[in-house]
Amino acid sequence: MMFSLFACVTYTLAYYFDWSLFQYALAENRFYFFVQDSGSGPPILWYGWLATAVLGGAAGAVIVPPRLSAKLPGDLVWLLPLAVIVAALIYEKRWFV
Amino acid sequence: MITALLLVHGILAVVLLGAITHQAFAASATRPGAGRSSFIAKFRNTDAASYSKVVVALFVAIIFLGSVLYPSYRLVVRPLLQAQDLRAANGSFEIKEHFSALALLLLPAYWATWRQPLTPEYASARVGLTWILASMVWWNFIIGQLLVSIKGLFL
Repeated sequence: MMFSLFACVTYTLAYYFDWSLFQYALAENRFYFFVQDSGSGPPILWYGWLATAVLGGAAGAVIVPPRLSAKLPGDLVWLLPLAVIVAALIYEKRWFV
Repeated sequence: MITALLLVHGILAVVLLGAITHQAFAASATRPGAGRSSFIAKFRNTDAASYSKVVVALFVAIIFLGSVLYPSYRLVVRPLLQAQDLRAANGSFEIKEHFSALALLLLPAYWATWRQPLTPEYASARVGLTWILASMVWWNFIIGQLLVSIKGLFL
């Protein structure tokens, strides 16, 4: 449970602030650690954002003690994902204006 | 090869769409078994918990295939959208990207809420998460189908 909640928030922060663990340079068919200018066209950051989110989720799941996660309100489990969806829609509204 | 993967991706998406929509309606049924004669009641009157394993397996398979296909989208489709200034189509796919990632990351929570025996304290989370995932699947499916057909539809 904690993994998912932390991972969703980390993913949102990752694409907002370009915290990509690695990037895939399409033209070169190569992976680079972190975001850097490969000089060969726009890279794919999505895989890296996902990896950053998995790390964030794993860290959250390890850090939060089980007695605290057991007290987690059931509604937060769906309200937080709903909030990150709204954040994604707000972030991407730039394409529709 | 890419065409074959795209077809498999699409077919699995249809199965997931059916499974998670069915589960979402069944999960939010207030009185299971009531009014069994109508189609809607029959549609909702199913064991929602039995869908969770299939839903998780389908999600993982579809997102894996999607991530394999993604570089082809970036090489072939996205430049076309940019050249034609189809910003809304481009943005819709960006949202699809985020929804796919968020859905994948939410699967452990979804799995936990549907784990047997079902716990009453996660009742609202179960229904809420299932509807959230179902909405993402519907968006991704519709946008995916529109983008695959975009040349015939809009260009």
